[in-house]
Amino acid sequence: MHLTLLARSPMEGTVSGHHKSPHRGSSVEFAEYRNYVPGDDIRRLDWRVFARTDRFYLKEYEAETNLRCYFVLDCSGSMKFGGAAGRKLDYARRLAATLAYITVHQGDAVGLVCCGGKTFFEIPPRRNPSHLKLIFETLEKAEPRGPTGLIAALHDLAEKVRRRALVIVISDFFCELEPLLNCFQHLRFQKHDLALFQLLDPAEMNFQFDRPVRFVDLESSMSVVTEPSSIRDEYLRQLGMFLEQLREGCHEFGTDYRRVITHESYERVAADFLVERALVRK
Amino acid sequence: MTFLQPMVLFGLPLLLAPVIIHLLNRMRHRPKPWAAMMFLVSATRNSASHARLRQFLILLCRVLAVAMLVLFVARPLAGGWLGWALSPAPDAILILLDRSASMETQVGATTKRQQALQLLAGAAREFEETSHLVLIDSATRAPQEIARAATLNELSLTQATDTGADIPALLRTAFDWLIENRAGTAEIWLASDGQRSNWLPEDPRWKSVIAQLGGLSRRVRVRLLAMNEPSEANASISIKELLRRPRGDKSELQFVLDLQRNRSSAAPIPVTLTLNGERSESEVTLEGQSLRWRRTVDLGTRREGGWGSFTLPADANEHDNTAWFVYGADTPLLATVVSGDPRVARCLEFAAASRNAQPAELISPAAFSDANLEGRSLLVWQAPLPDGMDADQVQTFAASGGVVIFFPPGRPDAGQFNGMGWGSVQDAENAEGFRILRWGEDEGPLARSDEHISLPLGQTAFQRRQPMAGQKETLAAFDDGTAFLARQSLGKGEIYFCASLPDPAWSGLGDGPVLVPMLQRMLQAGARRVQQVSSAACGELSPADQSLPWISVDSTGHKDIRTQAGVYRAGGRLLAVNRPQAEDDPEVVDTEEARKLFGDLPVQTLQERHFETGQLQGEIWRLFLFAMLLFLIVEGILILPARQAASRAGSPPPRKTPRPEEQLA
Repeated sequence: MHLTLLARSPMEGTVSGHHKSPHRGSSVEFAEYRNYVPGDDIRRLDWRVFARTDRFYLKEYEAETNLRCYFVLDCSGSMKFGGAAGRKLDYARRLAATLAYITVHQGDAVGLVCCGGKTFFEIPPRRNPSHLKLIFETLEKAEPRGPTGLIAALHDLAEKVRRRALVIVISDFFCELEPLLNCFQHLRFQKHDLALFQLLDPAEMNFQFDRPVRFVDLESSMSVVTEPSSIRDEYLRQLGMFLEQLREGCHEFGTDYRRVITHESYERVAADFLVERALVRK
Repeated sequence: MTFLQPMVLFGLPLLLAPVIIHLLNRMRHRPKPWAAMMFLVSATRNSASHARLRQFLILLCRVLAVAMLVLFVARPLAGGWLGWALSPAPDAILILLDRSASMETQVGATTKRQQALQLLAGAAREFEETSHLVLIDSATRAPQEIARAATLNELSLTQATDTGADIPALLRTAFDWLIENRAGTAEIWLASDGQRSNWLPEDPRWKSVIAQLGGLSRRVRVRLLAMNEPSEANASISIKELLRRPRGDKSELQFVLDLQRNRSSAAPIPVTLTLNGERSESEVTLEGQSLRWRRTVDLGTRREGGWGSFTLPADANEHDNTAWFVYGADTPLLATVVSGDPRVARCLEFAAASRNAQPAELISPAAFSDANLEGRSLLVWQAPLPDGMDADQVQTFAASGGVVIFFPPGRPDAGQFNGMGWGSVQDAENAEGFRILRWGEDEGPLARSDEHISLPLGQTAFQRRQPMAGQKETLAAFDDGTAFLARQSLGKGEIYFCASLPDPAWSGLGDGPVLVPMLQRMLQAGARRVQQVSSAACGELSPADQSLPWISVDSTGHKDIRTQAGVYRAGGRLLAVNRPQAEDDPEVVDTEEARKLFGDLPVQTLQERHFETGQLQGEIWRLFLFAMLLFLIVEGILILPARQAASRAGSPPPRKTPRPEEQLA
């Protein structure tokens, strides 16, 4: 059995594929009967039903189309952070490459958006396997730098992509919560299927230090000298509150939200993601 | 406070070590790139005040712990402040010991005096090589230098006495010694139970002696060993008055005794009377904590004098359980009449006659200055009020226990005596005259007789009177409120003023039923002047009496009349010596009030009570050890969260405890 990346909502593709389409089509998947109205193609009449009921009915089938998937990779400075488990950006690269590979090989189109402070790459979605090489090269070149440009990039994407698509965002989402949720809402308003991977390092979750530390911001020149033990409880409280609000916001907009601690295996994370989507589809 | 290892105090700059380490630690911080800065900044902002306070407390605990450690290692010997400890040993230490009778109160197994000596000896031992130790006791106030502190308890100058104490005088003696011996730095160690009657905090001598001590070129410091712990149950007895009164051909002793106890109890107190070798016991019930008890003892037909004692059972203080007394032979009481009016004088002479019907001595006012009042108990004065030397002589007579009664001179008199004076002579407007309706019949010279028969004062008519003016206690008054008989207290005695004369032109007093009992009672009351010369307060003997060869009568052993109570004989004279009545005063001067009395002089109060070890010093280092441990424990509690976090970082988390990220997830 092959794992496939399935959209949870109907997609608007250009060719036949594995994903539901909002339009009725001519696939083998029966959808429903409906009354004949003048102008309908009489070739689609179900003569057997006419013989039994003396009425004209049209037999409709599910239309299945292909998927256009956009991977949005946060390349801000905060993605450079990493402890023993490695940098968050490296984790994001591997996860995005894995999912892109699967997507292309199931015949769907894959695009990539890398957004950082001063870096912005955008690769439009293509279905051919040679396109995958371009995706991988771009992922390899992406470097974390500067403040986050995720919110602007997502709004831009929501406006630019007219047809329904699957948007997968991989980021730590360390930015203002309200604008972030607004751009999620924007994407959902445009009928896009939205999946979020929030990458967090174990050190960020534990915040265990035994001596005074000068914390230097990865996205600006700001630094704070503090005794971590004295603020640990408050820090964990603030972080927990943020994560909970993010989770609730995503739930409200029907977004597929996943929190990933970077010491977890990315293969397992990708597999869980694909399996859960497949189950939801059925 | 002194230190056995004062050199260790040079380590006090180590107090800065925690501060320096703290600052270095802050400078040694590692830079750490951080992504989740928004939460860190917010948490730092919210936790800053608490964190700073905790940091400050941790630092303070560390500094204080180091300070306690240094002081502990320096082996402090007594409480006090650091400045005291850093000063060198004084040139002289004056040990002022309160040896009053109240210091014999037992607290535990020993008396307050013994405990004070034990503590003082322990404290002085550290200084006997470096300082002059001088003992001044309250009984003799004679400075004595002592070589070894250990002998303090064995000196005769530190033994128990029945005397009182005069703390201002004791300090004055210390000051005199410092001046005479030109001592350099000095400390005064004062051990006392703080009895208010000994300390006399209102005495003006305090200010002068403290000013003198403060004015010395080298600063004098005071250490106060306040032995004011409450004692066990204790009762005391003292004789307030003693009169020998004739009863027909017999006589009796009338006692007024004061009983006190420090705790209320319903149990009666057994009082043993020893009179001329015979013992009798009676029980007295005190409703509260004190009682003025009147006791009459029949002497029968005995004419000679004698001695005895009232004794209470053993209690916390043995030295206030016995009251000694001596009574004189049954001699007639004598009066002197001073009058210039022969008719009035004759009445007064016979009314104040002695028991053997001998009229009172009559002298004229002009001859009074040469009068000999020795052996007299009553002075009847019917003349213009005395002035000058005469007034002084009358005052001395009254102050020593005698009774003086003034009758009107019968003419205007502008003179004053003890604030009293005579007004103008008044005649009654009708034949009935002035009447007396009420007078004091319970006590005093106009009281009812033993058979409860009132004096016929209401039936006595008064046609003329000369009112007195001034502050007085009115014992009888005319119907218009004007005083007939008034009284004033003066020293141990009393003075009376009578507003009318025993003259037919004035009143019916000359008939006798009122005048005779009145003057006879005054004659009896004045007997204390004659009889009380045979008693004295311990430690307050006159120089003349001290020079006599006194031999103890109540004891076969040797007793010192200057410091020990009892009955003594010198030649044919008996003398009862009792502790001063002020020694029964339960009030004490508290430590704070005592401190104030010393004004600007540095005072250290030594309240340590380590009697079981017998050391005044040497225990204080434990306080520093405990304080150091306390500060370390507090510091440990304050840094506990950080240590817990550190230990978790170095070891895998316990399985049952969810990780923070799991809690968040």
